[in-house]
Parts: sequence; structure tokens; C-alpha cells
Amino acid sequence: MELVIQYLFVGLVLIGGAMAALSRHVLYNIIGLGISLFGLACLFLQLGSPFVAAMQLLIYLGGITVAIVFAMMLSVAMTLDPLTRTPVKTGFAGVAVLIFGLGVYGLITSTTFATAPLAASEAWAVGRIGSALLEHYNLVFETLSVVLLLAIIGAILIARSEREGGESA
Amino acid sequence: MTDSLSLILATTFAPFGAFVLAILLLMRQPRVAQLIVIAGGALSLAGAVSLLANGPVDPLRYLWFVSGDIQLRFGFILDGLSLMFGVAVALITLCVMVYSLGYMGHDPDKTRYFAMLALFEWAMLSFVYAVDLLQSFIFWELVGLASFFLIGFWYEKPSATAAAKKAFLMTRVGDVGLFIGVLMVLQVAGHFDIPALLAVDNGLVQQAAPATLTAITLLIFVGIVGKSAQFPLHTWLPDAMEGPTPVSALLHSATMVAAGVYLMARLHPLFMGSETTLGIILIIASITTLLAATMAMVATDIKRVLAFSSISQLGFMLLGLAAGSLFAGVFHLITHALFKALLFLCSGLFIHHFETNEMEQIGRAGGRRLRFATAGLLVGGAALAGIPPLGGFFSKEEIFAALGHDGVTLFSVVALLAAFLTAYYTFRMIFLVTRPAQIETEETHAHAEHGRAEPWSMALPVALLVVGAAIAGFWGEQIAAGLGIDMGHHTLASMAPALAVVAVGVLLAWVDFGRQGAARTGFIARVPALERLFTNGWYVDAFYDAVIVRITTLVATLMHAIEVKFIDGNFDRLGRGVLGLGSGSTRIQNGWVQFYGGWAVILVGVAAVYFSMGG
Amino acid sequence: MSLESLLLLSLVLFCLGLFAALSHRNLIAVLIGIELMMNAASLNLMAFNRFSVTDPTTGQVFVLIIIGLAAAEVAIFLSIILNLYRTHRTIDAEELTELHG
Repeated sequence: MELVIQYLFVGLVLIGGAMAALSRHVLYNIIGLGISLFGLACLFLQLGSPFVAAMQLLIYLGGITVAIVFAMMLSVAMTLDPLTRTPVKTGFAGVAVLIFGLGVYGLITSTTFATAPLAASEAWAVGRIGSALLEHYNLVFETLSVVLLLAIIGAILIARSEREGGESA
Repeated sequence: MTDSLSLILATTFAPFGAFVLAILLLMRQPRVAQLIVIAGGALSLAGAVSLLANGPVDPLRYLWFVSGDIQLRFGFILDGLSLMFGVAVALITLCVMVYSLGYMGHDPDKTRYFAMLALFEWAMLSFVYAVDLLQSFIFWELVGLASFFLIGFWYEKPSATAAAKKAFLMTRVGDVGLFIGVLMVLQVAGHFDIPALLAVDNGLVQQAAPATLTAITLLIFVGIVGKSAQFPLHTWLPDAMEGPTPVSALLHSATMVAAGVYLMARLHPLFMGSETTLGIILIIASITTLLAATMAMVATDIKRVLAFSSISQLGFMLLGLAAGSLFAGVFHLITHALFKALLFLCSGLFIHHFETNEMEQIGRAGGRRLRFATAGLLVGGAALAGIPPLGGFFSKEEIFAALGHDGVTLFSVVALLAAFLTAYYTFRMIFLVTRPAQIETEETHAHAEHGRAEPWSMALPVALLVVGAAIAGFWGEQIAAGLGIDMGHHTLASMAPALAVVAVGVLLAWVDFGRQGAARTGFIARVPALERLFTNGWYVDAFYDAVIVRITTLVATLMHAIEVKFIDGNFDRLGRGVLGLGSGSTRIQNGWVQFYGGWAVILVGVAAVYFSMGG
Repeated sequence: MSLESLLLLSLVLFCLGLFAALSHRNLIAVLIGIELMMNAASLNLMAFNRFSVTDPTTGQVFVLIIIGLAAAEVAIFLSIILNLYRTHRTIDAEELTELHG
């Protein structure tokens, strides 16, 4: 039973990824992204971290995907006619990806990874993540918040500059 | 010894110093430059005369450098031959320099002219007095260089530069032979020292095998053929008349072309050691003498007549030398130098006054009204034709005697025929200038009535040479003594054929040109084919043009095509290829970010593959 | 699930995202590809977190940070797209070639 569910999740991820990569219309790409992210969240859950899974759903699916949809809708005028991909570029991208994929595949198969036993369930508690964020990884946490602030300010600035009539840098 | 050394150094290097001064310092002051050069010439003459007065001394030798067991020396040989000829050269050069004061007076480039004259005198005198064969060769070449500069003096005229090139190239062809001969001497004898080569007991004649000696002397003769304008390398000399007339007087009659004859005289014992070479020289000299004389018969330009005459007379000298008489050749060399220079300078007087070289025009414009020039022309012409008691008669007599030594031979007949033709064309020239069909009496009347038509600078040398040409014949005994040869005696009977031949020549010239109502076309005009043959120089020049010049031009064009299309073209293609490669490579930068990203991914992938292979 | 299969899955996901990023003309599709790649990295991290470390806290924190940064990046990306549309009237990756050589 567990195996079936596992394959379901993997399938979601792969189908979503395929839709995101291969579809022609942007909306299908976005939907594919959403499906893939959902599948990933489920995988995270299965890998033992419900908190991360929840965060993935919340932020990615709830925030980022919606933002992308909004952006797509705002530029809907030029996406009504789907931009066809040029074969040259597609072929070139395919070749690049293939080479890359084969290379890393070789790396993966040829490396022996260190293994460790599964930690106790107390180690997986959410509280542990919280304390880690506030104690050990405090700097990273704060820096992330600063980055987010800067991103917001920057986004506003970039999006505003045209309206004031001034030339963007 | 040091006395001789300082004299010889003064003699040979005074003109060099004048040359350096003229070139470096005095280009802007022509008058001072001219005087400096003339002073150099005078100093040279004084030195040469003092040396002659001191009499022959042992040669002076100085070591130049040593290479292995070969020692190269330079130095001076001061025997009768070099002393006498040195004086002749210095004297004629000084006369020409003074004459040039007047002749080149209005030329803006006269400093360069005088400087080149000084260079020439240095080279020529150093050649005359050289003791080492290599030294002679070096100055032989320098003389050719000076000749090149002087023939092409008016370099804006394309004909002048072409003539200078032609002269230089043709003499160069001869010089190749000379150089090979000189090197062969080194190979056989191990040194270049001339007195040692000529020594009776262990000279080159003894050291070399007969075939080798013949080869060496023949090769040296090739150089003489080039420098002294003998057949087949004679065509440069008529063209060399593009240079100023004093240059023609100095280089191309008296001194430079005589250098070849002088070299043969200097190395006479070597030539006498090879019968084959002597025979070949006799043949070539005979051909040259007759050929040039025929061409002189139909020439209309006064300088060309004299040029052909020089070629012919040089052949005459070589005939004398090759017949075995050193004295005959050298005697005629000296007398010829004097009267040929005189003839050229007189022709220069006519040219300067009437501004044309054509004899008929000079005659019609009243040539004989220039009495001084006419007198000089008469004296010189008579000497050239061989009329006694002028110089040419005695020297030619010696040559006839040498050729007829073993009875009448083909060559003595040739010599007599040449003497006949010489008399004929000489007096043709004189009559055309002095006794034209009619004289147009406009401007020259005014000129001649002013008394002296020529400046003193031009008249003085001419007068000096007139005296010299007249009395040179009587110096025969001294010249022979200087050479260490017994002159011998000539009977009236032996002189008869020469006299007869000369008389016939003058008479024929009178009939054709001199008497009133004469046709003034020459007896050759009755055979138009012959006349055309002579006028075109027996088509030798045409042959050279058709064969050698054309072939060389073809090869040069081919080489140029190869250079441009192949060598240069390939370099251009290389450059263009690199440019193309560059511009092609820029097409990768098409601005598509995704391309750039793709390339980065490929590279990472390649690295991953590499590392996964255990690299 | 074994570590290797998870790694392979994340590789496939990464390649899909890479292909999307390199071959689409629409900039938004490129953004989607980038997001996919980031998620593949997260999956990688979570896999190692499960199988190869003793203390699993670090991996989760790492993934959380990645998710946050992805959010920030998307915000910037989208505002750039809006700006580009205003100035160039297109969001076609092949039209935006001012950096070409």
C-alpha cells in the first residue's frame, strides 16, 4: 500500500514537471508547477518532516504560484498567442540537458554515499526546528527576513519607476 | 719610402677628401665646393707628377687582414706603367674639372656633380696604383659606381637613368667574370699580390696549369669586355652619352673605359702565357673595332660618333696588346686618352654654344665660326685618324708593327681596314661641322663677332689638351723606357700601308662631305641595307631587347604575380581568415541568455562526466 | 525509498526544470523552470537529511531557508518582468537581445 502511495507521489511530481517543461501555453506550465510542488510536499511528508511539507504548500503553492498566476494575468495581452519555441533553441537545450543529466547520473551512480541510521522521532519534532532557527541559525533567520524586506522594497521600486516618468537605471 | 707613401696618399686621397667635404659640408655653397674639388684634383696631379719624377720604386704593401693562411693586403704599385698612366688620368681629370666650371656653370646641381667627379678620381687613381688584385677589383667596382652616378646625373630625364642602369648592369655582367677569375687566382696562387703573380720565376704562369691559366685570363677578359665596351657588351657606351659632355670626356673615352685596357696591360705577362686567350682577344677586338667603326660612319650625333670611336680605338689597343706588344697598347692608350678627351671637350664647346648634338645642325648654324673649337676639333681629329706627326699616328704605327710582326695576317688587314674607316668617319665629322652645304647666318653671327665665344674655363683645358695631343707622339721613347721595353725602329716602308690607308680615308670623306656640292650622304648610303644595318648597331641592342630584356621582364612579371597572388595573397587570406573566424565567433553571442546558460550547463555536464569517470 | 532513487528523481526534476528554463520563450515559463530546479535541490537536501545525517534539524532548516529565498526571488523576477513589458513591450526571451555581440 505504501509503495503505491509512494509511486503516486512520484508520479505527481513527474507529471507536473513534464507539464511545466513541455506544454505550450503558460497557464499549463503554471498548473504543472503547482502539481509538481504538491507532489513534492507529499514526498517531504513521507520523508519525515510535516512542517517542511506544510511550509512548501503554504509558501510555494499558496504564495508563489498565485503570484505567478497574477503576473501572467497582468501580461495576458501578449500571452494569448502562445509563443512557439524555436527548434534550434529547443534542440540545443535538449542536448545541454542531456549531457548534464548523463554527467550527473554518472556521478550519482559512481559515488558511495555515507549512510546513517534513522534518527529518533524526537529529533524530528517541530519544536526542534523552531529552537534551531532562533538559537543556532539565528543569523541566517534574521538575514532571510532582511532579504525578504529588501526584495519587497526592490520589487516595489522596480515596478514603480516607470510610472513616475523617470528613466529606469 | 715615406716620401713615396705620403705622395701616393696625397695623390689618391686628395680627391676623396674633396668628395667628403663637398657632400657633407658644401652642398649649399656650390662655388666653394667646386674650388675644393678642383684643388683636390690639382693636388692629385702634383702628387702624380712628383711620383713620376721620382721614378719607379718598390711597391708599398700593408697588411689588411688575415684569414687562415690567406693574407689580404692593400698597397700601391709604383712602376713605370702606373706612374705614367696615373699622371695621364690626373691631368685629364683636372682639365675636365676646370672645363666643368664653365660647362656646368648654370646647373643647379653642380655640387653633386663635382663631388661625383672627386669620387671618381679617387676610385680611378686608387685602381691605377693598386698592388693587390682584390684592391684593384674593389676600386674597379667603385669606378663603375661613380660612372653610374655621373651618367644618370640629370636623373629627371628618364633616358639618363635608363642609360645609367644599362651601363651599370652591362659592366656588372663583365664584372662577374672578372670576380670569378680573381677568385680562381686566389685558389691557385693563394694570394692576390700583383707583382708576385707577374714574377718571372714563380709567378702565376708557372703555378697554374695551362688550362687553368687560360680560364683565369679569359674570365678577366670578360670583365675587360664589359668595362671597355667591347663586343658583345658594347651597347651601353653610346647610351652613356646621356651624361654631361665633360663626363663623357673623362669617363667614357680616356679613363674609365681605359681601365679595362690598363688591367690587361698590368697583367700582360699572364695573358701572354695563354695562346688561346690571346687568340680569342684578337678575334673579339677585331670584331669590335670594325663594328664600332661602321656604326660611327652613319651616326649623326657628334657624341655618338666619338663614343663609337672610343669603342673602336679600345679594340685597337687590345689588338696591340694581344699581338704581344705591351708598349703598343699602352702608347695608344695614353695618346688616345689625350686626343679623345680633347675631341669630347671640343664637341662640348659646340654643344654648349649651339645647344644641339646633331652635327648637321651645328654645321648649318655656322659651326666653323667657333674658330677655337674648330681648331681643337681639327687637331684631335687628325690625331684620331692617325695623321703624322700627331700622336695617333705613332701609336697606331706601333700596333700595326706588332700585328704585322710575323708577316701579313688577317688581323693586320683588319687593323688597316679599321684605320681606313677611322680616318673616314673622323673627317666626315669634321666636314659636317665645318663645311656644311650652306650656313644659315642668323644668331651665330652675333655670337662669333663677340670674339671669344667660350669662357676661359672651357678654353684653357682645351688648349692644354691640344698641346698634349700634338706632342704625345714624341714621347714614345720615354714611355717605352718607362715600361722597360726597347722601342725598336720603323722603316718608312713599314709605315707606308698605314699612311696610304689614312690618305684614302680622308680623301673619300672629302669627296663625300667636304667639297662644294658634295652629296653629304656618305658612300654607304648607296647600299641602303648596309646603312640600316650600321645605323641600328648591327641589331645587337635589338637582340638584347628581344631576348634578354623580354625574358627577364617575363620572369619578373611571373615572380611578381607569385608574390602578389600567392605569397602576399596567402598572408591576406590568413588575415581575412582570422577576421572571419572572429566575426563568426561573435555570432555565438546572439544575446539569447538561454544560449549562454545552455553552454554553462554543457560545460558542467562535461565536468560531471569527467569526474564520474574517476578523473 | 532509497537514497539513490530519490537522488535520481531529483535529477530528473532538475533536468526538466533546466529544459524549461532553456527552451521556453516566455519569461514566465523560464521562471517556472527555475522554481522547479530549486525544488529539485530541496528534494535532494531532504533526501540526504533522511538518510545520511544524524541530526535531521539542519536539513529542514536549510530547506525552509531555500523556500523563503525562492519567494523573494520570485517577487523580484516578476517585477522585472513587469518593467520589461513596459519598456520593451514584450517578454519574449528571443527579442531581448541588447547584450548581443
